[in-house]
Amino acid sequence: MDEKTGMAITFPFAAIVGQDEMTLAIQVVAIDPSIGGVLVLGDRGTGKSTAVRALADLLPPIQVVKGCPYKCDPAKPAQACHVCQPDSSLHEVRPRKLASESRPVSVVDLPLGATEDRIVGALDLEKALSQGIKEFSPGLLAQAHRGFLYIDEVNLLDDHLVDLLIDVAASGENLVEREGLSIRHPARFVLVGSGNPEEGELRPQLLDRFGLSVQVKTPQDVALRVQVIKRRDAFDKDPTAYKAQWQSESDQLQKRIVKARKLLASVVVDDDMLTLCARLCQQLGTDGLRAELTLLRATRALAAMQGTKKVKPEHLKTIAPLALRHRLRRNPLDDTDSGERVNRCLQDILAL
Amino acid sequence: MADELKGLETWNDAMTSLQLLQIDPHGFGGVWLRAPFGPVRQAWLRQLAQTGVNTVKLPGNLDGERLLGGIDLSRTLQTSRLHMQSGLLQLADQGVVCISMAERFPAALVAPMTQAMDTHALPPLQNATSTQGLVRTQFGVIALDESLPDDPPLSQALQERLGLWFDLHALAPLDVSEVSLNSPPMDSTHDELNIRIAPLALASMRQSLTHIQWTDDQALAVCLTAQGLGIESLRIPTLALRVATCHAALHLRSHVIDEDLAFAARRVLAPRATQLPAATENTLNSEPEQSSPEDLSAQPPEPPPGEQASKDEEEDASTNHSQQDTHTPEEDAFNTPSPEGLQEMMIEAAMASLPPDVLADLLTKPGRNPGNTSGRSGQYRSGTQRGRPLPPRQGRPGGNARLHILATLRAAAPKQRLRNSTQAGRVAIRSEDFHVHRYQQHSASCLILALDASGSAALQRLAEAKGAVELLLQQSYARRDSVCIVAFKGAQAQLLLPMTRSLVRAKRAMTGLPGGGGTPLALALKMACEQATQLQRQGVTPILVVLSDGRANVNLQGLGGRAQAQTDALQWAVQWRLTGYRALWIDTSLQPDAQVQNLAHVMGGSYMPMPQVQAQRMATAMDSLRRQAG
Repeated sequence: MDEKTGMAITFPFAAIVGQDEMTLAIQVVAIDPSIGGVLVLGDRGTGKSTAVRALADLLPPIQVVKGCPYKCDPAKPAQACHVCQPDSSLHEVRPRKLASESRPVSVVDLPLGATEDRIVGALDLEKALSQGIKEFSPGLLAQAHRGFLYIDEVNLLDDHLVDLLIDVAASGENLVEREGLSIRHPARFVLVGSGNPEEGELRPQLLDRFGLSVQVKTPQDVALRVQVIKRRDAFDKDPTAYKAQWQSESDQLQKRIVKARKLLASVVVDDDMLTLCARLCQQLGTDGLRAELTLLRATRALAAMQGTKKVKPEHLKTIAPLALRHRLRRNPLDDTDSGERVNRCLQDILAL
Repeated sequence: MADELKGLETWNDAMTSLQLLQIDPHGFGGVWLRAPFGPVRQAWLRQLAQTGVNTVKLPGNLDGERLLGGIDLSRTLQTSRLHMQSGLLQLADQGVVCISMAERFPAALVAPMTQAMDTHALPPLQNATSTQGLVRTQFGVIALDESLPDDPPLSQALQERLGLWFDLHALAPLDVSEVSLNSPPMDSTHDELNIRIAPLALASMRQSLTHIQWTDDQALAVCLTAQGLGIESLRIPTLALRVATCHAALHLRSHVIDEDLAFAARRVLAPRATQLPAATENTLNSEPEQSSPEDLSAQPPEPPPGEQASKDEEEDASTNHSQQDTHTPEEDAFNTPSPEGLQEMMIEAAMASLPPDVLADLLTKPGRNPGNTSGRSGQYRSGTQRGRPLPPRQGRPGGNARLHILATLRAAAPKQRLRNSTQAGRVAIRSEDFHVHRYQQHSASCLILALDASGSAALQRLAEAKGAVELLLQQSYARRDSVCIVAFKGAQAQLLLPMTRSLVRAKRAMTGLPGGGGTPLALALKMACEQATQLQRQGVTPILVVLSDGRANVNLQGLGGRAQAQTDALQWAVQWRLTGYRALWIDTSLQPDAQVQNLAHVMGGSYMPMPQVQAQRMATAMDSLRRQAG
């Protein structure tokens, strides 16, 4: 365990071999969280969880209001929670200087069997029992604020939990009205889900909340597999040393992300590209404008990651399958890979 | 003779596994022990108890708080300060947890458990944001699985993380006692009776475990073997190598040798095999077992599709190897066998440990078997812990019932004066105040489609029926119901598709269904009844849809004869009625038939004559039936 952060040591992101599509998608959403999350579909033992749990590597620590359970951003007092910003109607509105501290970006694991209490938060038992005070104790959604919420086997998640997540993921706010509590706190997080599609399908509404979707397979190349196993073994033998060994690569990766984030605002998407995106979405018959928006944001993030200031067709080519694959209105019985369809369609359009 | 030896070997390996657990309780995940309650399992457990490994038993009625730790309610209430109790997983640190009835272990607990195994730390306690970081724990898992062949086994997620798999079903108590009697206790090198490793030896083994490193060639061989056996997951080769290392440590070796790899191949790789490796086909052909499945199965077994690929990879590997040779000539001086040689050795070891019927299964299976990968955990949706909330009711928390705090406080509030709590500001709560959560459950339903693929349901109408079924599937997709398909023709009814929500698989299963042969209606109904019982056990409501012309001409024994066949069918129709579940019979014969109508009536189901199955109409009928059921 890392003494400083109190978090378990995770496999270094930079050391993940193969699975290029997945690592790309994760980096892209790390650059621009507004893309809205990644869905990773694939068999067991393909390194889905490893990659996602390593996410914290990618991002620099964030500044939060000191002691705030909801990790409010000191730079944005307007969005602060009720702890940092006591009822403004009672007090004079004065610009309070909030002490801040830096905390690592949280990657919260939402286990399949989690209860509603655990996710949204519930009455603080200790205070309720000992002092008879009704106080809210925040749940996983609060913990995931400004970070990532990872749901393994998202396709097996209970329906009522899915409803909950859909609502919060859309509004960026968790509203608790239960057990006599009435609490509202910010919960903006990047949703990362993984699952095996053979075990069940995802509800279209939840599917839509994911910006990108990737399909992972175990690498078929034996040399690559051996490589994966060797790295994993080295990590398991001595996590701390292994992490240190990869520290410079991790730092580099982090720097790249930070740089890309800065660059993001200045990346230009010209009209031609916009038309291209619109045409592609139209051709594929994706519902709503979300697809186009996601496509746009993701290509921009990719361009920023590669350090270019202008979105080019190559970027679109890389991103389009990821961004559109899960949005095609498909016949549930048609098992051709949707990624293929996106590619074909894109080729047609580019050829015009 | 061979079987006896196999039994002995299995038992020996099972004993070895106990020693491995002593050396490294958590390194290779643990042990999945499939065995019925009986002397064999008892013997193993007795030995486990003697090993001195910290063993924490997880009972079946465990709740999440006890597993992961949580609030100690009675003490909290007594002292009016928060008292936490540590969970069982924490207690099992550096030891093992032993799950009895592992096949019934609730999915809600499997998820945090696998998470804890992956991260070596417990998922944070209930909403305890302020408490000190993570609770670190490392533990192995021993899953005692008593499931019968057609019961749902241990959760897949857990299965995969457990390194060693043992199936002791076939083991006779005699095998076991023989082992323990035959090996003389004075034999110090291979002491079977005393499984416990002496503390000093154990320390040195543990010490050497950290230094043992497998070579690249060995890793390559393990990967190739896993691939050849159709094991996709990358966790498995890792586990196999860990087991091999541990095995080497047990024998106080400084490096992994073939024997260690063979053990890993036998106990880690072989039980997970989903296909026959291409490389060993010629050796297998000489075995007598090989011929029997070929004769039995109607069509000759197709070569596994992975064959070509794995051959390519072998070539790939050999080129790889030659490259490595040039790079590391000093390794050859070590006289390490080539990866191919190692792989062959491991595959042989793996094959030798597989019982012949499994081999036959693998032979007839076209490559990866999707049947085992269906999401079992997805159907454990029900439980008393989730669903739409209902008003709380008085009751004891614990087990599955969770305390409803507000209702409890509310119940206690008016009595505070009466109870006259000595300290001010403290709520006096008595056990009669406890209220627990109640939830209304929406029970999922599952369509059992019994599809007549016999010759009498002429081919064209079979195609039509398939189309109709597809429509049904789309509908059930919309309703988030699951389906399972039973197809019957010739002398047998076949579970074409176990319960699934994946329509792609349902469709795939159906397109591959050929028609022709007799109509074993009784067998089909029997299978439907069995399926229904299983579904019911999982808390899913079954609905049966039979698509058939009802002209039964094959009886329960799979023999021809119209009269007996009809009697048998009628008998099983009665059986279905006894289950009390809904049924719909769609008559696919050209003319509506009174006899079929009678059968449907006996089953207590609705009857729809449908000279030409009209997909849309059938779907509508289904919908109304569902509404009745729901």
